[in-house]
Amino acid sequence: MGATMMGARVKRLEDPRLLRGQASFVDDLRLPGVLHAAILRSSHAHARIRKIDLSAVRAAPGVVDTFCLTDVWQSPPTIPVLVGVPSLVPCPQHPLAGEVVRYVGEPLAVVVALDRALAEDALDVAEVDYDPLPGLGDAEQALAAGSKLLHDTAPGNVAARWTQGFGDVKAAFKEADHVVHERLRMQRYSGVPLETRGILASPDSVSGELTIWASGQWPHTARGLTAAALGMDERRVRCILPDVGGGFGVKCDLYPEDILIPLAATRLNRPVKWIEDRREHFLSCVHAREMTFDLELAFKSDGTILGMRGQIISDQGAYVRTLGMVNASLAITGLPGPYNIKSFSAEVVCALTNKSPTSTYRGAGAPEGTYARERLLDIAGHQIGIDPAELRLKNLLRPEALPYSAKLVAVEGPINYDSGDFPAALRQALKKANYTEFRKAQSQARSEGRLRGVGMCVYVQQAGLGPFESAEVRVDEDGNVNVVSGAAPQGQGTGTMLAQIVADQLEVPLERVSVSFGDTARIPFGVGTYGSRTVVMAGSAALGAAQRVREKAIQVAAHLFEAGPGDVEWKDGVARIVGVPGKGYTLAELAEAASPGKNRPPGMEPGLDARYYFEKNQSPFSYGVHVAEVEVERETGDVKVRRYVVVNDCGRMINPMIVEGQIAGGIAQGAGGALLEELVYDEQGQLLTASLFDYQLPTSLDLPSIEISHLVSPSDLNPLGVKGVGEGGAIGAHAAVTNAVADAIAHTGARVCQTPLRPAVVWKLMNEKSVQA
Amino acid sequence: MDIEREVTLTVNGTSYTRVVSVRKLLCEFLRDDLDLTGTHVGCEHGVCGSCTILVDGHTARSCLMMAVQADGSEITTVEGLAKDGRLHPIQEAFWEEHGLQCGFCASGLLLTVHEFLSDRRDPSEQSIREALAGNICRCTGYQNIVKAVAKADRIWER
Repeated sequence: MGATMMGARVKRLEDPRLLRGQASFVDDLRLPGVLHAAILRSSHAHARIRKIDLSAVRAAPGVVDTFCLTDVWQSPPTIPVLVGVPSLVPCPQHPLAGEVVRYVGEPLAVVVALDRALAEDALDVAEVDYDPLPGLGDAEQALAAGSKLLHDTAPGNVAARWTQGFGDVKAAFKEADHVVHERLRMQRYSGVPLETRGILASPDSVSGELTIWASGQWPHTARGLTAAALGMDERRVRCILPDVGGGFGVKCDLYPEDILIPLAATRLNRPVKWIEDRREHFLSCVHAREMTFDLELAFKSDGTILGMRGQIISDQGAYVRTLGMVNASLAITGLPGPYNIKSFSAEVVCALTNKSPTSTYRGAGAPEGTYARERLLDIAGHQIGIDPAELRLKNLLRPEALPYSAKLVAVEGPINYDSGDFPAALRQALKKANYTEFRKAQSQARSEGRLRGVGMCVYVQQAGLGPFESAEVRVDEDGNVNVVSGAAPQGQGTGTMLAQIVADQLEVPLERVSVSFGDTARIPFGVGTYGSRTVVMAGSAALGAAQRVREKAIQVAAHLFEAGPGDVEWKDGVARIVGVPGKGYTLAELAEAASPGKNRPPGMEPGLDARYYFEKNQSPFSYGVHVAEVEVERETGDVKVRRYVVVNDCGRMINPMIVEGQIAGGIAQGAGGALLEELVYDEQGQLLTASLFDYQLPTSLDLPSIEISHLVSPSDLNPLGVKGVGEGGAIGAHAAVTNAVADAIAHTGARVCQTPLRPAVVWKLMNEKSVQA
Repeated sequence: MDIEREVTLTVNGTSYTRVVSVRKLLCEFLRDDLDLTGTHVGCEHGVCGSCTILVDGHTARSCLMMAVQADGSEITTVEGLAKDGRLHPIQEAFWEEHGLQCGFCASGLLLTVHEFLSDRRDPSEQSIREALAGNICRCTGYQNIVKAVAKADRIWER
């Protein structure tokens, strides 16, 4: 059989359960005696809390418990910041607000009742006496001199501010023939997984253990952080990830409810469940993306980039949360991207506002930085008079420059592009998109009054975050293979991917391999699923564990054959003496021999199993090129994406079907951001888009079929030669679609420097020439 | 006061009589009273389409119906699609074409597609996309769902 699974478009092992409606998302779990929690949330963006009176809540029908901050903590825990920067000032959130609320939706109290409806009813009779303070709904307003301070610890409402760069930027701009500047705004939007967040916590009075099922992305981290916040021993907390209905980075945070629901369960010694509703999701699940870039590029007359400089204002929201610094860090370090930029300097300012806290969402800063750079490149090409494709080809790093250190370090590690051929990917994408022909067709269409445009984006993505991932492979005595991974997938098909790797190593049919995840009791260390890391980290860990099991199986067989391990060969899941076709030992027989008390080699640990940790701090980089073709309706400003071409390079692919699914899904989210999605706040910090009526997600009518092709530049940074792919689609699409719209209406003199490009915005841009970002 | 009523309805071929609160949503009734948790609730305001079921053969959002409104009706949920342990051809097609990732939206989509394909053949891509437009999927970008519907059209003998 040999290696037949890796690289194959195998149907997913996960799907039959999901298709039959037999999956177990957290709200599907059933525990006897479960109680239901609802959260009282602030209706003010900024206010001093004079009093919270829960006496009527306590007396409401079906209410079992209710508490606010002062009921449970004298010195409340804070939501920890896991990834910091040196300039970060403390502005943490407590699980429940104390004296001040700083965003609409901030938790104030918890109600636990016999069912969810009764818990929600009880919220209505809570009395909160607010003393409203001026709300800061906008980052620039927050940073303006004299603005009300959100946190005493953060002068000027600045949570963090730093500069990164390399080379002599001043000299570059001095000697430049062209300097192109633009102020580019990306709006606030977020992942909006279809399954909202949810938590079920259940204390076991026999063992004293607290079990938490949560719709999350990192159970091991959640266990440690929750235990610390509650002052419990980590060994007394077990976190289990059930089926998760999408995460996209936004379920990767320690949320107030991650502390509050286990606390409620512990107080009552009963299981307590909380399922976020969609309105709560919009109010309180982390937001992302909102940044404004003041960016400049210096060019020689032939279009060679000499330098890049600028400032980023990142709207942080009201608090800095668990991964709240990641976006700003990846945005600034992602600005130069795959280009040969000799000098660079940028400052990032993280502004505190009275809005929901921000944190990671698919790409986490990379879509933002990429959008700013790629948009500015198009603007520059337009100004200098060079075709945007030619301008990119002139400045992309040549393949011989790789591996390439971008001389920048992000919070998650150094930016080093390990392998690839950026110009080849762009050339291939342009060819696939019939770029040259399109330009001709475009002029023709324009003369007929049709506004067609093409936009491109070349991006890189950090694709395989460390520091480690774990895997355990165990063969049962019936020959079935069990894999336990520290990964915590949310629909990516990770189980199938890992099974393909393990099946190949042991040379067994895929159906013999089962994979489980996300349970701190099953594997002692694990990291989780985020940052496009899983194929690299969890894949390499599963490979390592499977290789060890195979070696062990050969040793057991050698012992049974009374031969040396070198005399035994492994083929089709059977161990034989080299060159002797007769008697062989199957995996089942070897598993039985290796079990305790049976017949294994002296000195060998019993059990045909192995655990492996793949440890790596240097992330590989995937890259890709997106080319979007759009048509804009002159009369309405409505944008239709007509065609979408992708050339992607994520190294070796374990399952190209899954890879392409990730790319297409990411593009839907990036295109949604370019055209539709926005979390809109008013100036006082009231969220105006807290439902799916107001927050528009892309539907099947908003997206075209996506044409994907691949380059394969294996990574040397892991034994599989793989690179992650989860975020690339979202990184490339926001920029490519925006550039395409800008191209379609460029002849009107419109300055496109903001998103989303909803019809009204596009119409205004066309008809008023320039609308300020 | 919590007012209750008795309802009798057929779900996936089985008749149930239950006493329910008049304010209970049909999706809650299916999930909590009948333990049919395959119907997923994504927004509770009728936009995302995850909770789509068939009521008397037509798609309905079970988050926009009260349980008492379903009295006397015949309901199909995702659990009723596979017969004798075999996946329905629409389910097979979704599996073949990688038409789902997290699977949360899949239940509603399968029933939307069931209604769409039950009385037509050989639909165009545009008409498939129009039929799917009331069901949000956040993972796939829809294109594999569109392919799955085309495939289901070919393999579903009806």
